Amino acid sequence: MTLELQRTALLPADGAAPQAPAPRRRRRRGPRVTVLLAVAVLVLVVAWAVLPQLFTSHDPLAGVPADALQGPSAAHWFGTDPTGRDLFSRVVHGARYSLTGGVVAVAVGLVAGTAIGVIAGSIGTIVDEILMRVVDVLLSIPGLLLSLSVIILLGFGTTNAAIAVGVTSVAAFARLSRSEVVRVRRSDYVEAAFGSGGRWGSVLLRHVLPNSLTPVLALAALQFGTAILAISTLGFLGYGAPPPTPEWGLLISEGRSHLATSWWLTTLPGVVVVLVVLSANRLSGAISQARTARS
Amino acid sequence: MSRTPSGRRLAGLTAVVSATALLAACGSGGDAGGSGTSDGSASGTEAAAGEPIEGGELLYLEYQPYTTLYPPQSGFYPNGALIANITDRLVYQDPETLEFSPWIATDWTVNADATEYTFNLRDGVTFSDGSPLDAEVVAKNFDAYGLGDAEAGFPVSEQINNYVSSEVVDADTVTFRFSAPSPGFLQATSANGAGLLSSDTLDGDLDAYAPGNGTGVVGSGPFVIAEETVGTEILLEARDDYDWAPAESEHQGRAYLDGVRFSVTPEDSVRIGALTSGQTDVIRYVQAYDEAQVEQAGLQLFAPQTQGVNNSLSLRFTNGILADIDVRKAIVAGVNAQEVVDTVFTPNYPVATGILSHTALGYVDHEAELAYDPDEANRLLDEAGWTLGSDGIREKDGQKLTLVASEAKPQPLSRDTLTLVAQQLKAIGVDLQILAADSGTYAEAIKDPDQVQLYHSMVGRTDLDVIKSQYASTNRDANLSDDAELDRLLGLVASTADPAARLQASADAQQYLVDQAYVIPLFEEPQVYGAQDYVQGFGWDTVARPVFYNTWLAQ
Repeated sequence: MTLELQRTALLPADGAAPQAPAPRRRRRRGPRVTVLLAVAVLVLVVAWAVLPQLFTSHDPLAGVPADALQGPSAAHWFGTDPTGRDLFSRVVHGARYSLTGGVVAVAVGLVAGTAIGVIAGSIGTIVDEILMRVVDVLLSIPGLLLSLSVIILLGFGTTNAAIAVGVTSVAAFARLSRSEVVRVRRSDYVEAAFGSGGRWGSVLLRHVLPNSLTPVLALAALQFGTAILAISTLGFLGYGAPPPTPEWGLLISEGRSHLATSWWLTTLPGVVVVLVVLSANRLSGAISQARTARS
Repeated sequence: MSRTPSGRRLAGLTAVVSATALLAACGSGGDAGGSGTSDGSASGTEAAAGEPIEGGELLYLEYQPYTTLYPPQSGFYPNGALIANITDRLVYQDPETLEFSPWIATDWTVNADATEYTFNLRDGVTFSDGSPLDAEVVAKNFDAYGLGDAEAGFPVSEQINNYVSSEVVDADTVTFRFSAPSPGFLQATSANGAGLLSSDTLDGDLDAYAPGNGTGVVGSGPFVIAEETVGTEILLEARDDYDWAPAESEHQGRAYLDGVRFSVTPEDSVRIGALTSGQTDVIRYVQAYDEAQVEQAGLQLFAPQTQGVNNSLSLRFTNGILADIDVRKAIVAGVNAQEVVDTVFTPNYPVATGILSHTALGYVDHEAELAYDPDEANRLLDEAGWTLGSDGIREKDGQKLTLVASEAKPQPLSRDTLTLVAQQLKAIGVDLQILAADSGTYAEAIKDPDQVQLYHSMVGRTDLDVIKSQYASTNRDANLSDDAELDRLLGLVASTADPAARLQASADAQQYLVDQAYVIPLFEEPQVYGAQDYVQGFGWDTVARPVFYNTWLAQ
């Protein structure tokens, strides 16, 4: 449902016109603080993923048993887990799994969804009908259920969890790209391209695709945050990376039994996930606003 | 060793004596002397609090749903917890002294080579469906458990060895015969694995014992299953006409409680929260890190031992890497069980010093041979040709020294335990991974030595045969063994009539398991229960399954 709302928000709907002046006025004041914060969070997390050793000297997999279950302190910013591993180090190193997972998930959805959408939108007729009904069926299956079914087929693991999450967004990408292709295909310049003897394939590649992909890419940015959340969910349920991988969802899951005595084990990784997802959403909102304002 | 003040412990010990109603329990202090867990088990039941009050329903939060009520498969805790309360056994075994006394059988005789057992039964015992518990139905029970029935899906009970046949001598006398000595049979008749069921129940196949059919499983015990919601809840109701408690029990007649409601609550934090906030009466599986919470809240904590094969990792030596005894020895030497216990557990989980728990029958101390020695481990692996790679993991002929361990849900803190073991093994260049899979894949993987090489398990039973249950290729086969010598040694334990020779056979089997480096013993496993202070007379059987017969609510 959230996806649908997000998708509608991204559509260059005709109804968007009356609201256009408001964002434009706001935009003149420059990027908001929240957007800057969102960018800062994402940059930091990407840096964690790329160069974790710059941020922590503790080993994420090997702990000091004598230091087990210590609260946050100067030595251990996020405290330690039941086997004495530094939680901050685990969160930092875990960024890699969540971010690559997010990228893979979005890539799967983007490539497969756009392909279906473009084929349906450009060919039309019965092919369009069939593909879109398939998409309808996909949309009718709850995302988590679909992810779980896919992951049971593929087996557990970070990449498989990412693919499973990606599959759930195929339908959203397909619908959006189809509607864009249909819109662009009827525009004058495409008609003109056909009129001047352009072949179907080359017109599609040169004119239709580039002009219909922008909102799709905006959806991709939004999907990134959703995917990180979904991958963490799968990790929490035990379908993601095997222990002792410091995947974020797994960290939260492993800490939940200690909720009453060692709050930091679930709370701090949870806060990180929330911040990253909110940041991704805020950023995609900003992109979308900018695009609406431009149009 | 226990955190409980010794005064309370003593009071508790007295309590258990009356709680489990054992006249002979007075000598148990010495018997269980060194056991922190026995101390723990005794703590809390302050039965001195007055005369038992009849009535009330007790809420019991269980960690997992049961899987079957077929008695020979009562090893799984949730199964055993129900079977222990809805069935009676021929013989009663004192959980403290481990001595036998009459229950449904008034007396028994065993021939010199333990191939023939004759039991005389008490009169007037009925199942909850009204049918009589006579020699006929007892014979039918043991024929099912001792012989199995492939068609109905019944496996042969792991606790009954060499069983051949039964003979109904008269209405209250039954004789069992064995193809070879079966010295463990008397204890088997006292265990949940031989809970007596009605004739009609035994006519069903294995599905008749599956979840959802609980109300149809009819025993003669103090409680009956009155209601069941599959996977969530079971209500045990007391039988008003129950009048055949073990002869040693001070308490005779019906159970004090009107009922016990088993509620499946898998989340650890929910069980412990429900207990400390007063929303439940008793919970099972208080995790080690929550024990302090229970004690701080002034509630009762019980940690009876399971008294059998220790919580261990079994090495699957039919796997290519582990076929080399030096590699196995290195891995055994590379695991520091003391660190595992110190980090993750409490004094209720004593470090293992042998294959068996030190409270188990036939225990032999192998502490020295099982000692943590990383230098020796490194030396053995170097000699075996496993050289350290650039990533800190050893390799040989292009193969990494990577092993997989199975995380066992019924074992306390299995994942934390394996995480620590993996960390310890990493230090000697062994990469230990923890299997992550859905339950179907998991069930297959743990039976394949190429998928799971370190199998995490334990088994409780207060008989020397317990070692056979765990390691024989015909029983639980923790090692997925093809070792005929191991089977031979285990067979001797189950089939030697002379008590001294049988003890020696058990010692030989333990020695062989240690010499071959087949097992990494970790700790002696208790069952840890938390209970409100008004819960009186909470008891357990020899393998720490809860027994509610003497339990009452002082409020």
